[in-house]
Amino acid sequence: MNGGMNTFHPAVPFFFYAGGAVLIMVARHPVFLAAILLVLIGHSLVLDCGRTLRRWWGAIVLMSGFFLVITPLVNRRGTHILFYFNGRPVLEEAVYQGVMTALSLAALLVLFLNYNQVITPEKFLFLFGKLPQWALVATLAVRFVPELQRRLGDIQTVQRARGLSVTAGPLQARLKNGLALVQMLLTLSLEEALQTADSMKARGYGTGKRSQYNPYRFRPADRLALLFLAAVFGLALFGWRLGDLVLTLRPVLEPVFLHGREWFYLFVVGIYYVFPLFIEGREAWRWRSWK
Amino acid sequence: MALLEVKDLWFTYPEEKRPALADVSFAVDAGEFVALCGPSGSGKSTLLRLLKPEISPYGRRSGAIFYDGSPLADIPPARCARDIGFVFQDPDNQIAMDRVLGELVFGLENLGMDTGMMRRRVAEIVHFFGLEPLLDRKTHELSGGQKQMVNLAAVLMMEPRILLLDEPTAQLDPVSAKDFFNMLRRMNEELGITVLIAEHRLEDVWPLADRVIMLEDGRLRHVGKPREVIGKLFTEGDESFIDYLPRASVLYHQFTVEAERERIPITVKEAKRWLAGLTVVEKAEGRSIKDPRVNECPDSENAASVGRFKAEARRRREAPVLEARAVRFHYRKNDPPVLNHLSLKIGVGERLAIVGGNGTGKSTLIKTLAGLLTPQSGTIWFKGKKVKSEPPEAIGYLPQNPKLFFMEETVEAAYRHALERCGTSPALLEDYLNFFDIGHLTARHPYDLSDGELQKVVLVCLLLERPDVLLIDEPTKGLDPAVKKRFGKLLKTLNQEEGLTVVFVTHDIEFAAQVATRCAMMFRGEITAEGDPHAFFTGNAFYTTAVGRITRGAGVPEVLTPEEAKKRWLVAKDGS
Repeated sequence: MNGGMNTFHPAVPFFFYAGGAVLIMVARHPVFLAAILLVLIGHSLVLDCGRTLRRWWGAIVLMSGFFLVITPLVNRRGTHILFYFNGRPVLEEAVYQGVMTALSLAALLVLFLNYNQVITPEKFLFLFGKLPQWALVATLAVRFVPELQRRLGDIQTVQRARGLSVTAGPLQARLKNGLALVQMLLTLSLEEALQTADSMKARGYGTGKRSQYNPYRFRPADRLALLFLAAVFGLALFGWRLGDLVLTLRPVLEPVFLHGREWFYLFVVGIYYVFPLFIEGREAWRWRSWK
Repeated sequence: MALLEVKDLWFTYPEEKRPALADVSFAVDAGEFVALCGPSGSGKSTLLRLLKPEISPYGRRSGAIFYDGSPLADIPPARCARDIGFVFQDPDNQIAMDRVLGELVFGLENLGMDTGMMRRRVAEIVHFFGLEPLLDRKTHELSGGQKQMVNLAAVLMMEPRILLLDEPTAQLDPVSAKDFFNMLRRMNEELGITVLIAEHRLEDVWPLADRVIMLEDGRLRHVGKPREVIGKLFTEGDESFIDYLPRASVLYHQFTVEAERERIPITVKEAKRWLAGLTVVEKAEGRSIKDPRVNECPDSENAASVGRFKAEARRRREAPVLEARAVRFHYRKNDPPVLNHLSLKIGVGERLAIVGGNGTGKSTLIKTLAGLLTPQSGTIWFKGKKVKSEPPEAIGYLPQNPKLFFMEETVEAAYRHALERCGTSPALLEDYLNFFDIGHLTARHPYDLSDGELQKVVLVCLLLERPDVLLIDEPTKGLDPAVKKRFGKLLKTLNQEEGLTVVFVTHDIEFAAQVATRCAMMFRGEITAEGDPHAFFTGNAFYTTAVGRITRGAGVPEVLTPEEAKKRWLVAKDGS
């Protein structure tokens, strides 16, 4: 992905997602959460035409659905009885509680999926790997994973030709072969890691203090975006303090429909979450008008 | 003054009696391109590593190495890392970082350079190498050739004065190797970087070299300009290095009694010029080839082999031992097919070479034939039976990386596994150990063996299971020319005396031309051409041996190897 949120310094999208997660966790109101979820799904669709979402759709629905169903069945604190199920009362408060838990869980998951697309491991390391040694170890590990996968696949293929299979035959033999396979993978990896170590030493690793290449620049636009996000986030938190982001369940059940000042804070929270969509949209608009 | 000077260097590995390097002295001037030749185990790698203090092997050493006038040991580590670059053989294992950009700046980060300077270097080097499209890619997604190019660039980022390379193209296909050498040549010529390279790709490295150093058993055998060294070898009648010379020079040597050093051809171009001055006739026919009609009709040898080939083809059609029928294979659902409706019949007792560029599906084909990959459509038939999910035991598969073969701690345990699996008698093992001359390796750990030894051990393990068909993936990767030649002979013997059917995929055209009884070329997942090797390679303009390229259209009988030329050519008179 280029363009959109990726044009910013990694600090900007990271602030957005961190703040976004906080707001989802503090907002306890079905309307707010539903709005947030909708906007996040919209953003996910814009990011990769819904590919990631399609892959995770099942898991998200399953988990949210679980809380949606289970909360009203087990939560019995409230006064508004809707109906009886198996002789137990199902309460209106508990239903709202279930809806909110399900919505906030779904919203958090979608937010995290989006986060993963925008904040790549490199960006994360760049932001938090201020200790160069730590960052280096992490990068080496990241590089090691596909290498291990590749080697394991190769070993499995070759060993299958020798009659040592981990997918066929009696369980005991498969276990034995599997263990031997892992042992071989480790030996081979260590053997090859020696060469990597040589190559690193040959390029002066350990000769002195390491510096770190900084591929990102902090531009005025980044500062502006960060200030804007911080201001909106602060305002939304203020709204939470005032209780406008929260549906009061006890002692008195508040009406679900928004009223008065709550509309204003829905607008504020909306602006916060629409920010990346606005950036992507501006990008698209620029292209259209440029043509 | 010499940039690098080695004086009376002796080196012995711990617990070894024989020195790995003995009495080595030479000097390399700034800007020189020096090629280091010699068999595997002759001390090339040891010498190169001794010249790079960070990765010098431990052991007893005497003698001195000077860099830029001062002893190498006195050079501060940071300067050493910067000035002396090192490129290793394996393209994968020398990459440390996840992304190409990270890999490029790795060395500069180690030196503590600030980002501004790094940006500038990256911009320069990426431009010089044309690496822009790769910059944001993950390193493990690159091809071998691209990886090696990134490795070279990563070393060059540090602006070295001298570059040491240890068989950098041994794992690459010929086209990537050519690209790599072109880049080396540019670095040497345009940037004046001194190069010291150990290499087995003689046709590529000899024309570039200003000087050649030949090592044998740790001793310097010959040092000098390429033509001088070749001339000296010829006049001394030293045959042991003949496999390490470019084919053009060997061809020249076979028809010249008194070699004039200045005229020894090294490249195809030079050899063509030399041939133009000769009148060559076919030995058996005794007619002049300068007759223009001759090139159009197939000569006698070709005709005979084509006849043989047709008879074999009939037999193959009727009773193939291994057959692929309309095989289609994808690695992932939406990827283009790697094998595309491929059909291939392999007859009993054949030696089939499958050649083709990188990524044409050669390795996939051989794994599919071995029953290790199940095609999405199409079938594999082995001895009249359809191959189902389990790979047939009577097919031996020798992987590209022989290390993957060993789950055991010792070579002996690997033999035992093979014996137990097929109930073969241990007497057979003794026979094979003697035949391959590897009896002394049984107690060793497989990873301690050289590439050539490893391949032989795997081959013995496979043969113990008494296969009917042997499938080999890139048999010549990483082998030195002499070992390669012996391995080719070995395959031929096994084929002729034990009736073993041999199928191998290879980039190595010289090897295919020498060993195969049939050649097939793969292109885009299909077999696009096949034929008897002689007819096949003389029909190709580019995809042929060096001697094939020299003789093609040169008005002489077309041959593929110097040995064949010796058999068939009669040089009537020297044109000059």
